[in-house]
Amino acid sequence: MIMNKYVNPDNLYIARSYLTTESNKTGSWRFLRPCYDEKTAPCSIACPAGEDIPRIEMMATQGLFKEAWEKILIENPFPSVCGRVCFHPCEGSCNRRDFDSAVAIHSLERFIADTAIRYGISPELEKKPSRKQRIAIVGAGTAGLAAAWFLSLLGYSCDVFEASSEVGGVLRWGIPLYRLPLSALRHDIKQITELGVAIFTGKKVSKEMLSELKKKYDAVFIGCGHSLGMPLSVPGENLSGVSEGLEFLRQIRDGKSPVCSGVTAIIGGGNTAVDVARSVVRLGGKALLLYRRRRQDMPALALEVEMALEEGVELEELVAPAVISEENGKILLTLQEMKVEGEECGRDRVIAATGKNRQVRVERILKAIGMQASESWQQADRTDNEILTLSHSVLDSRGREAVMVLGGDIVNKTKSVVDAVASGKQAALALDILFQEGIEAVVPKLQACLVGPGSSLSMEIFMGGERRLRNKHVVSYEEINTDYFRFSPRVTQPRLLKEERIQSFEEIDLKISAHMAMKEAERCFNCGLCNQCDNCFIFCPDTSVILGRDHQGRHINYDYCKGCGLCVVECPRNAMSLGEEKS
Amino acid sequence: MKRVLEGSHAVAEAVRLAKVQVISAYPITPQTHIVEILSQYCTNGTMKAKFLRVESEHSCMAALIGAQSVGVRTFTATSGQGLALMHELLHWAAGARLPIVMAEVNRALAPGWNIWVDQTDSLAQRDTGWIQMYCEDGQEVLDSTIQAFLLAETVNLPVMIVLDAFYLSHTYEPVDVPEPEEVDRFLPPFAPKFQLDTAQPCAFGSLVGPGDYMDMRYQIALAMDDALIRFGDVEDAFAALFNRRYGPVEAIDCADAEIIFITSGTVTSTCRLALQELRAQGEKAGILKIKLFRPFPVDRIRKELQAAKKIAVIDRNFSFGASGIFAQELRAALCNTPRHPVVFGYVAGIGGRDVTPELLKEIYWLTKNSEVPQKESIWMGIQEVKYAD
Amino acid sequence: MPTDVLDRELVHSGHVGCPGCGATIAMRFVLKALGEKTIMVLPACCWSVIAGPYPQSALKIPVLHAAFETGGATATGVRAALDMKGDTETTVLTWAGDGGTFDIGFQSLSGAVERDENFIYVCYDNEAYMNTGVQRSSSTPYGAWTTTTTGKDWKKLRKKNIVEALVAHRIPYAATASIAFPEDLLRKAQKAKNMKGSRFLHIYASCPTGWRIPSEMSIKIARMAVQTNIFPLYEVEEGLRYTINYRPKEYLVREYFRLQGRFKHLTEKDLDQIQQMVNEDWELLLRKAGEHV
Repeated sequence: MIMNKYVNPDNLYIARSYLTTESNKTGSWRFLRPCYDEKTAPCSIACPAGEDIPRIEMMATQGLFKEAWEKILIENPFPSVCGRVCFHPCEGSCNRRDFDSAVAIHSLERFIADTAIRYGISPELEKKPSRKQRIAIVGAGTAGLAAAWFLSLLGYSCDVFEASSEVGGVLRWGIPLYRLPLSALRHDIKQITELGVAIFTGKKVSKEMLSELKKKYDAVFIGCGHSLGMPLSVPGENLSGVSEGLEFLRQIRDGKSPVCSGVTAIIGGGNTAVDVARSVVRLGGKALLLYRRRRQDMPALALEVEMALEEGVELEELVAPAVISEENGKILLTLQEMKVEGEECGRDRVIAATGKNRQVRVERILKAIGMQASESWQQADRTDNEILTLSHSVLDSRGREAVMVLGGDIVNKTKSVVDAVASGKQAALALDILFQEGIEAVVPKLQACLVGPGSSLSMEIFMGGERRLRNKHVVSYEEINTDYFRFSPRVTQPRLLKEERIQSFEEIDLKISAHMAMKEAERCFNCGLCNQCDNCFIFCPDTSVILGRDHQGRHINYDYCKGCGLCVVECPRNAMSLGEEKS
Repeated sequence: MKRVLEGSHAVAEAVRLAKVQVISAYPITPQTHIVEILSQYCTNGTMKAKFLRVESEHSCMAALIGAQSVGVRTFTATSGQGLALMHELLHWAAGARLPIVMAEVNRALAPGWNIWVDQTDSLAQRDTGWIQMYCEDGQEVLDSTIQAFLLAETVNLPVMIVLDAFYLSHTYEPVDVPEPEEVDRFLPPFAPKFQLDTAQPCAFGSLVGPGDYMDMRYQIALAMDDALIRFGDVEDAFAALFNRRYGPVEAIDCADAEIIFITSGTVTSTCRLALQELRAQGEKAGILKIKLFRPFPVDRIRKELQAAKKIAVIDRNFSFGASGIFAQELRAALCNTPRHPVVFGYVAGIGGRDVTPELLKEIYWLTKNSEVPQKESIWMGIQEVKYAD
Repeated sequence: MPTDVLDRELVHSGHVGCPGCGATIAMRFVLKALGEKTIMVLPACCWSVIAGPYPQSALKIPVLHAAFETGGATATGVRAALDMKGDTETTVLTWAGDGGTFDIGFQSLSGAVERDENFIYVCYDNEAYMNTGVQRSSSTPYGAWTTTTTGKDWKKLRKKNIVEALVAHRIPYAATASIAFPEDLLRKAQKAKNMKGSRFLHIYASCPTGWRIPSEMSIKIARMAVQTNIFPLYEVEEGLRYTINYRPKEYLVREYFRLQGRFKHLTEKDLDQIQQMVNEDWELLLRKAGEHV
């Protein structure tokens, strides 16, 4: 406090300072109290896997690609896959949309995963000590593999039983290569197996085998997905020219080239329908996509639809199959025209436009209207009160045998890859809680691991990582100080040309450069997170932000902070809060 | 070495010999001869000093406050309006305890414009905390200026050397100009007691609450008291080397005098002539020349005047609504003594009017022939004014 | 900006600046750039109080408090004395408010700049006499309420263009800067430090108390002043070479005025007129910078 020990104030009594102002504790002026308060980004709650997107992009901005990859893996073992095929709801809630356009989160996810592949990096993730319980997993699809991943991280040994010859489920057999190359899938799966998960392929689990598993293991996760097509429920649907779209895709992924001459009608509006249509085009056929609603209602990704149309797929909206019949070796499809009337479930309702029918002649029909479980035991009984029904899984711990957990498409409302990941994660966390603390603890403990006010679970929060400290408040666009951001166009995803695309099943989306990726990552507002920009320190009029003494990198010296609130307002990303001072 | 010098040049030579490091000045007649010479000395290397050609007297004093605060010896000269403009900073310099030395050539204040001698400008600054010395001739100017630096730096108060416009500033007289080595023996290099220094950062002159302010002001009062004692020490040291001494006051024929003139500046020299004539006529007259006006040497004045019956104070200045300023000071100095002479106040020589031996003798007879003063201030030589309707 | 510059701190906590004080932020920035080898001349202004009462000092550099109108002259003397002592390394900095610069201290500043005194003069501009309780100065902008321009007598005269006045002196370096643009401000202060002769920085420093704005808005307002062209960021070398440092987003001045209590009486018509004045000034500046209007 004494500034200058050389000065003897008694020497000459003049107005010459010898103390600093630090004896004035101006903190007593304060009636508002700023604090560091990291909050929740809207993208991270929109992500069913609860990925810490703002942190991931921050790391990517800093070139910390390995760390960014690990940050994804702690919540989702499939970055390479999701970077390509996820429907990225994150981007839909990106705050940057109100500024210019959403951050290309999926492109960055893919870039980060690709970079890990390119440099052969192994993730270093925290793994809990081994537990004695063993878990059997039925089905090596996304949900099963995700469950195995999270259970392994939690210290459980897992054995996965897969009916087919290769793992991956729909990812392996149901998604065309131009969207998801095999190498991308295998890389993600490699991380899972390297964690010590044992996978047995060609092991179809029957009802009998399930009884065996229930004896040998402490828990059985059933994530076998849906393999039975939904019926069209129209006359003639069992004709030989009518088959399942997913089966069609499976043949292609099995190395076969199903005949596609002439016109193939595809019924449906989801991603499978579009995948099938585009595959038909690639095999030299003509694809006619028939959908009972309008294009804007299609569940398929808009971009996929757009590219399909570019590639020559024909789309007919507002038509539903009414009758299928055979005529001269061809299929005669009678279509009921539909019209929009009223609303249901938040979207326009369509009803049959009476008396308006027409007919099309096609070579074959491929159905893509959804799938269902092939066996009854693969369905969850949601009526039993003693069964714990969660958002993405169903737990049955009755009896003395193994706990039964159902997950993946057989329980998920949204049948997406990322929801399957969410399911595996939820199941893994629920089992861990159940084993360690009992069934009653499951719901409250899971509740504590939700990302913000949303429904996505965070493994990092469950493991006690720094993310658990984050305020549940979701940062809105108005809370971003946009003065610190410049307009910057969203990265343009480089793609094969239309002409190149239809020649083969080559992946359409090309790699983006590290430079482009970092530039794109820089666009991220990092909503609610501190990226050490130091604005709080820079603008503090009271020299009350002290650098470098704790994990945050700085702290507020409340002895002097007058509570002006500048640090909070000038925080570009709302990583600080101003609260009332309690006297 | 004896040289024939203007009073202004005597100041300049003293400043040269004092090895002043920063000089700042703004032109005003009749002070200009002082700084013209100094400017040349700085340009031709005679002096190793910075000459700041500032844009006003106010800035001139501000610049010296800045320079002196860094711990160098500083000097300026001004006059009349210039001094009035400096007023605020005169307080500042003293309050900051900066030993700045200034030559002030007494000049009448406008309006109307008048460049001739009048002491009101400097006397109006009597409460600023500056030591003031009124000089009679070129030699005294030179000697006092050299002494001023030592005195100022000893007590940490600024000093004003005051000389009459033209009668002294522009009058050539033989002056003994000492050698630099001799002056060096008398005046060591400036050793500041405080200074702006980045190695020991302090703030100077900040906000001071009532608790400290009054005590600090008391310290200035004490320093002024001390200056009276130090003035004697400085004169002793100077006399030992140069064999010249002036005293805070000079008493001429006062021992047996019944009527004593109180004078300052060049009027003293004129008065010496009048005194000779009066004494030749057998009149018991004397002169008390006041050199040191601040601090006011009250004890010496009382002592020198204790035997006199009357004093005739010659004021080349006036405090409107009161009286001549020296007269006020004399009354104040004497009123608490048990037996003191009657004080007659005369205002003469305002705005450069000549004060002749005849005028002074007239004052003598007026004083002698009155038991008590007819008025507090008697304005000498006033003409009847005819006002236009 | 090197971190050692950004991290060094020459302003102590515990000063008595108002919450959100822009002048204090400006001080922190400038001293970061100039470093501890700096002597400050501080004529009367808010900072005379902020700097601390005896025996305290809020600054880690030597400070000479000076009379209101003497910023240029006192610094002249400090510089001269340092030069006489052979110290050419120490920077002499005058730190004055708009009153001490635009008004009462203008002569002293003009004199010092005409003499090309080797020092840096910083005017932190809060657009009124804030220390004495918000009275109008010649820096108070058109349209503003102050305690001496109240009611319908709000100031209907333009703000003096101080930088242009200094440019007319052919000052070696004159620049505007804003507390909302720290990098630009620090760069200019460092640039000034490395030059010789008179250097002038005109720093926009918001005053929550006098402008009737919430304390947390002082940076936002300062930024908007730049974004709206009300306070353009530019620098002029040798009184000739103009460089505009920031391309404003051309926001409407309306936004800036609406946020401040001191302008709350202005009508839409007044704001239109002010917009015109701002456009006019900006076009003039563009022309001086040799850029297309």
